Amino acid sequence: MHTDNPIPDYVKRRWYILVFLAPATLIYTVFAIYPIVESLRLSLYVSDEGQSQFVGLANYLRLLGEPYWAEQFWNAFKNNVVLFIMHMLIQNPIALALAALLSIPTLKGAAIYRTVFFLPTLLSVVVIGFIWQLILSPLWGVTPDAMEAIGLGLWFKPWLGLESSALVTVTLISIWQYVGIPLILFYAALLNIPEETIEAARIDGLNGWWIFWKVKLPMILPTLGLVSILTYIGNFTASFDLIYSIQGGLAGPNFSTDVMGTFLFRTFFGFQAQLGDQFMGATVASALFFIILVGVGCYLFGVQRKLQRYDS
Amino acid sequence: MRRVQDHLSSTVIHAVLLAWTLLAVFPLVLILINSFKTRKAIFGDALGLPIGKSLSLKGYESVMANSDFPMFFGNSLTVTCVSLFFILLFGAMAAHAVSEYEFKGNTFISLYLIVGIMVPIRLGTVALLDLIVGLGLTNTLTALILVYTAQGLPIAIFIFTEFLRSVSREIKDSARIDGLSEYRIFFEVVLPLVRPVIATVAVFSMIPIWNDLWFPLILSPGEETRTVTLGVQQFIGQYTVKWGSVLAALSVAIMPVLVMYIIFSRQLIRGITTGAVKG
Amino acid sequence: MATLELKSVKKAFGDTTVIQNMELAVEHGELVVFVGPSGCGKSTLLRMIAGLETLTAGEIHIDGQRIDHQPPSNRGIAMVFQSYALYPHKDVRGNLGFSLKHAKVDKSEIDKRVNIAADILGLQDLMGRKPRELSGGQRQRVAIGRAIVREPQVFLFDEPLSNLDAALRVHMRVEILKLHQRLKNTMVYVTHDQVEAMTLADRIVVFRDGSVEQVGTPLELYREPANRFVAGFIGSPAMNFLEAACQSEQVSLGATHLCKRVHADGDVTLGIRPEHLRVDERGQLRGEVQVFEHLGGEAFVHLLLEDGQQLVARLDGEHHMRPGDRCVLGVDPQKCHVFDLAGLRIGNV
Repeated sequence: MHTDNPIPDYVKRRWYILVFLAPATLIYTVFAIYPIVESLRLSLYVSDEGQSQFVGLANYLRLLGEPYWAEQFWNAFKNNVVLFIMHMLIQNPIALALAALLSIPTLKGAAIYRTVFFLPTLLSVVVIGFIWQLILSPLWGVTPDAMEAIGLGLWFKPWLGLESSALVTVTLISIWQYVGIPLILFYAALLNIPEETIEAARIDGLNGWWIFWKVKLPMILPTLGLVSILTYIGNFTASFDLIYSIQGGLAGPNFSTDVMGTFLFRTFFGFQAQLGDQFMGATVASALFFIILVGVGCYLFGVQRKLQRYDS
Repeated sequence: MRRVQDHLSSTVIHAVLLAWTLLAVFPLVLILINSFKTRKAIFGDALGLPIGKSLSLKGYESVMANSDFPMFFGNSLTVTCVSLFFILLFGAMAAHAVSEYEFKGNTFISLYLIVGIMVPIRLGTVALLDLIVGLGLTNTLTALILVYTAQGLPIAIFIFTEFLRSVSREIKDSARIDGLSEYRIFFEVVLPLVRPVIATVAVFSMIPIWNDLWFPLILSPGEETRTVTLGVQQFIGQYTVKWGSVLAALSVAIMPVLVMYIIFSRQLIRGITTGAVKG
Repeated sequence: MATLELKSVKKAFGDTTVIQNMELAVEHGELVVFVGPSGCGKSTLLRMIAGLETLTAGEIHIDGQRIDHQPPSNRGIAMVFQSYALYPHKDVRGNLGFSLKHAKVDKSEIDKRVNIAADILGLQDLMGRKPRELSGGQRQRVAIGRAIVREPQVFLFDEPLSNLDAALRVHMRVEILKLHQRLKNTMVYVTHDQVEAMTLADRIVVFRDGSVEQVGTPLELYREPANRFVAGFIGSPAMNFLEAACQSEQVSLGATHLCKRVHADGDVTLGIRPEHLRVDERGQLRGEVQVFEHLGGEAFVHLLLEDGQQLVARLDGEHHMRPGDRCVLGVDPQKCHVFDLAGLRIGNV
């Protein structure tokens, strides 16, 4: 009878797996996971004469209950929602339309177009923000002059400076810059549709327009889901850069462009008379964490599962 | 008839695409041409080309003379390149480990490593600043490098893993029969294999690092360690009245990316569209 | 040259046993083919011989030396893979010489061996090319060349021809046979293609669900399959299986007596190879033509028998039939196989 073999030495000593995993896992754990978990923990404490003291969910109650905090929180949240909806309704349809046009097989110059369309995405938000600030500025007069030329001169307003239009203007700038990302994702998905499927549809008598709606669109639904969740996450975190660089930490005028990112920044570092509070900062960040978690959860369990059917 | 229709629709398509092209490049072109003009020309004739009397390099001279731009530029370059190197190397190593070897906890560790795609590292800023202060790394490029490496690893590991899973394992087995150690298999067989996706991963990781404002602002705002992005942000904040300088500063900030992009755009876009990024 | 012995080899992944108690002895210079449907464990066993999978129990010996605790490179084997597994960044010469260079063999010795392998396989004109500049057949040659260069005691082939198109596959099959005749090495060859198995093998090992169904020369398997599975697997088109009854050593299909001298009683399965059927007005099998496939030199007729069972016969190209035609076929009782209900072949008396 043979007993079970001991595992041979050359298989047993698999230290190399550890060596391969260690650097990435270590840096990632210490500088990404630990800070997030620690921030979640800090959100349960307050500063008490230099000592931190556990207070449970009191910070969250404060954030949502005290008018001073709740007003800012809901204002930022509302602005983020507006930002998200506008990106979904304007940026992503534009991206899809441009990608659909670019993916026409007979189109000449597609390489040049897609190169140009992706260009703004690559540039720093700080630079983009400032360029548009200059262009839209009444001081320089590029925009008023241009509008004058087409007979709309009277309609010009310093949009970035007005409470009523600042948020929409900033959002449009963001759309202008970031349309390249969904565009390239849609474009890649459209290119991946097998030529045979399109030909079969053509033989079934569908024209280009209907092929797009009935064949291509259903096949790129997973990408649509991916683009939606990326838009959602980017909107809650990355929007800080643009607004901070155009409107500053106060997200003016009168907080009309305040988003969760700028709110977090002010809470953490303080502004004007208010001192920075790291525990409230952690609380805002954690609230943001849960907001994103809800979105990602919806995506993973709802949208993606439903969309998977089209995958094969 | 059919041909006329095709012709018409192709004209419409090109008109739409050209319109967006104009919209995409107009602001950049406007800034670039005006940065070479005199103050008078900037305001008098914003759309004119910088020729003859309107040509002036004063803006650039004052930027170069009065600022630390070359240093900021060096900082950005250091931070981006070093982070990128770590992201690519450590990311490929980890992706190789989870895609090649069967071991206890494999599923857990691969999920753990990519969960960061969904949870932005910025949310941990409060504790991260404590940590960086605790390690004595405030106002150092090292802090930025570590944070950006941690930030870039999840997406890199995700893309590498997807790609490596699609690569035949036979070539690695073949190397094993040839007697290569697991380390040499990684460096001599796997790394050359992942070369096609390295460009994709590099771009995905590089853009957010180069353009980031948040972490330079919080972790290393000091004069010596400022990145280009932060430097430009602060510079244009100070000199809003000196239009020539501001426009020149903006041009200086976008030029390197512009040049890089024009050189590499072909590979870059091909990498993204044919690469491992599938919904 | 070397012998290869597997002793009580077993492999389990968790609770699933994929190889159970494998015993096999491969002679000096023998070419043994492992054949079976996908998932039967044949590739796993080959990878265990190579050292790419561990053994759950048992021993493997090459030339009397136990090697199952050695790493792959110390086992004296070389392996040719289905996907060729060439290093994409090295040219043909680099691929051929890679293992020797790694083993720190002398430069002149490497050149000598690489050139010999290149000569054998006709690769001399391709030495500077990268794998992506080669056709499928050329890549496979390089993969084989890489194995030759190592001068192994045992060659292992893992479905090496599966990625090639049909015509090239036939061509490479002959090449491998020539190579074996020239090198006279011990070889183990895994395939799911019974034609490859029949044409290449000195001996065939038929696998099914992790255990061996039968070991024998190609003709033994063809003439005396141990059971219904082997009978159905070897031969193309596959053997016909008909439900039949056996009474007092007489096998009959309905009222028709077919063959005699069988030790069985009750229901049995009758196996008849398509190529053993012929058109014969006084034959035993009557039916209606359903489909007639003409291939030029030969033709296949699909018949619906009077009792509702189906049958395929291989006829020569002279015949012509149409769907609906009546057809009577005869078979030599000596060439009929009889299986019991468990699928085991029942020998003649």
